[in-house]
Amino acid sequence: MNCTKTELLNALNDIVGAAGLKTEPADLETYGKDWTKFAKPAPIAVVLPADAEAVVALVKLARRLEVPLVPSGGRTGLSGGAVAPAGELVVAFDRMNNILEFNAADRLVVCQPGVVTEQLQQFAEAEGLFYPVDFASSGSSQLGGNVATNAGGIKVIRYGMTRQWVAGMKVVTGTGELLSFNQGLAKNNTGYDFRHLFVGSEGTLGLIVELTMSLTSLPKDPSVMLLGVEDMAATMPVLQACQAKLPLTAFEFFSEKALVHVMAEKGLQRPFESATPFYALVEFENQSDADMETAMEVFEHCLENGWVTDGTVSQNLTQAKSLWRLREDISETIAQFTPYKNDISVRVSKVPEFLQEVDRLVGEAYPDFEIIWFGHIGDGNVHLNILKPADLAEAEFFEKCAEVSNWVFEIVQRHGGSISAEHGVGLLKKPYLHYSRSKSEIAAMRAIKSVFDPDGILNPGKLI
Amino acid sequence: MKVLVAIKRVVDAYVKVRVKSDGTGVDLANAKMAINPFCEIAVEEAIRLKEAGAAEEIIAVSIGATQCQEQLRTALALGADRGILVENDEALEPLAIAKLLKAVVDKEGIDLVILGKQSIDTDNNQTGQMLAALCNWPQGTFACNAEIQDGKIQVTREVDGGEQTVLLNMPAVVTTDLRLNEPRYASLPNIMKAKKKPIDTTTPAELGVDVSSNLKTLSVEAPAERSAGIKVESIEELVNKLKTEAKVI
Ligand SMILES: Cc1cc2nc3c(=O)[nH]c(=O)nc-3n(C[C@H](O)[C@H](O)[C@H](O)COP(=O)(O)OP(=O)(O)OC[C@H]3O[C@@H](n4cnc5c(N)ncnc54)[C@H](O)[C@@H]3O)c2cc1C
Repeated sequence: MNCTKTELLNALNDIVGAAGLKTEPADLETYGKDWTKFAKPAPIAVVLPADAEAVVALVKLARRLEVPLVPSGGRTGLSGGAVAPAGELVVAFDRMNNILEFNAADRLVVCQPGVVTEQLQQFAEAEGLFYPVDFASSGSSQLGGNVATNAGGIKVIRYGMTRQWVAGMKVVTGTGELLSFNQGLAKNNTGYDFRHLFVGSEGTLGLIVELTMSLTSLPKDPSVMLLGVEDMAATMPVLQACQAKLPLTAFEFFSEKALVHVMAEKGLQRPFESATPFYALVEFENQSDADMETAMEVFEHCLENGWVTDGTVSQNLTQAKSLWRLREDISETIAQFTPYKNDISVRVSKVPEFLQEVDRLVGEAYPDFEIIWFGHIGDGNVHLNILKPADLAEAEFFEKCAEVSNWVFEIVQRHGGSISAEHGVGLLKKPYLHYSRSKSEIAAMRAIKSVFDPDGILNPGKLI
Repeated sequence: MKVLVAIKRVVDAYVKVRVKSDGTGVDLANAKMAINPFCEIAVEEAIRLKEAGAAEEIIAVSIGATQCQEQLRTALALGADRGILVENDEALEPLAIAKLLKAVVDKEGIDLVILGKQSIDTDNNQTGQMLAALCNWPQGTFACNAEIQDGKIQVTREVDGGEQTVLLNMPAVVTTDLRLNEPRYASLPNIMKAKKKPIDTTTPAELGVDVSSNLKTLSVEAPAERSAGIKVESIEELVNKLKTEAKVI
């Protein structure tokens, strides 16, 4: 920064006015971090632009005064991407939260970046349509953050990641230029598609100021089937059987250990009498009455083969929602145990082997660590959680976990997997990026960044 | 002890219903249907009585169109022993339903009838009471607890401002409130086994009940829409609005 704080604040005030500027310690603390407790927030100020013009002016100012910017959405990120630990200026999009335009024929919605994910879901539903990207934090996360992290979630097996739903995008790059990509076109083969470069760029290439999102048809009458699986390897033929026969919308899994914690914390009942080491949560559409019949046949087939031993299927939407809670409430439930979390992916077929290897390694080194597995197994995406033993100091626990990280990433690398399936890299996984991306790739990423952000003022220190 | 549980097929609690444009009712075409939530609680209570050794047989009865078999199958999967469908395509008034249930009670020699306190579609809250009157049996309505004691049933009722406990001679009628129990999920193996359990079909005529109606629905209208909330800029503005617009202070 090449000016005093007062000079900066005055200049910001000229752009956004008092309503768009926050400097109270409590605000700095709130806006300076995401869901991780990875780094201590220490931003210089928080600025809340009201429109794209203000964002352009902000970036130009930041460039001139050499002030680093941290874009911040709903701050539910799990990789420290929106953390401002070093006197940065936080740019938050809370005031740019309007749905601007909807066209039923195009099935396109033009949104400002601060629109909350759930807001778009509800808007779509009111129009008789569906925005399919969904996860436990969708009540707080913003579309700008979703696109910047290419968020995944629980419906990826059917609908893909956020990337698939971005039909157009406006960004302000690190030079203060306003660029518009793709404008909602379904077909547009005119060279490099910058839209896809900005999806998942974690605020390092530009600030997203407008998004054109596509919507799809509402799924018809989804039912949720929960299956008790005796051993992890058996989930693979179960997945195959379900995928072959049913219009799947989700295929998730969690362990008995995860279930026990959720039932205790949330006062939920056990879904069926027998406890099994793992559970597969299968959601499918009832496109006709035949689908429920098919689901029964699939279950019988899995039962006969010994892959599953018990199960249930929702008889109404209340039950469907309650069964989902067994999966969706896990993250929140185990937060009290200060868990170590890791979001990784390997090819679907490699998941059982991968889980076993990690279990074995961690179990041998730290037999007192409780490992909780859950995740989007239909996408090969698992969330590894290790609960801190009550008698172990936090610092010591995380030190040991850092060691665990290295082992896990080595196994990931050996299986050709990804060190971050859907939560991004941010600060948290930056040191490990090399396990998944080659030196040349990382160099190419840096080169691309220098095109859009020549002075390195956009989210410095993150991702690469 | 033979327990009869009444089950109504209603629109799923999560479906947002829309009133038909001609005002004759709500549009249920393609809507997801389910067991009325209070009836689900009734089924669960019956199963618990059976598991506790207090009931020998649970009969689930539903009155309505052929599709009510789906809900009867669910009850069978949950633990009912057999089902009875009283087939009738038109919507019936609570009194007609109560008369039909009375006919089933007489025919089957029932000791205890458990019903939901009301159905979430028409919200009448009448059938259980009417049935008790027709049978001349004691009734324990709005039950949040029920226990069999020496051939009687003790029912704790949810009443305004508290609870009331009554001891009923059997046979009796009990209607369920929300807190009575948490219904279980139907397990897949039990859903498959339920396919083999019997469902008998009968009709109002076979039961000798006249179900002709005394009421006519004139029109159905959606409730007035609430206007959206607003954000105020300051406490002064809030106080001002509470005074001048809401007129509550
Ligand atoms: C309980 C829980 C469950 C979750 N489940 C899932 C899940 O299933 N799948 C999944 O993918 N994620 C999940 N997440 C992670 C998180 O919700 C997603 O990463 C989400 O997309 C982040 O959005 P956000 O608006 O909160 O972004 P933030 O955390 O605020 O920011 C994320 C990144 O985006 C950048 N950014 C934000 N807004 C903009 C903008 N307008 N322009 C440019 N860059 C911007 C930030 O700088 C940061 O790098 C979960 C999180 C929680 C807490």
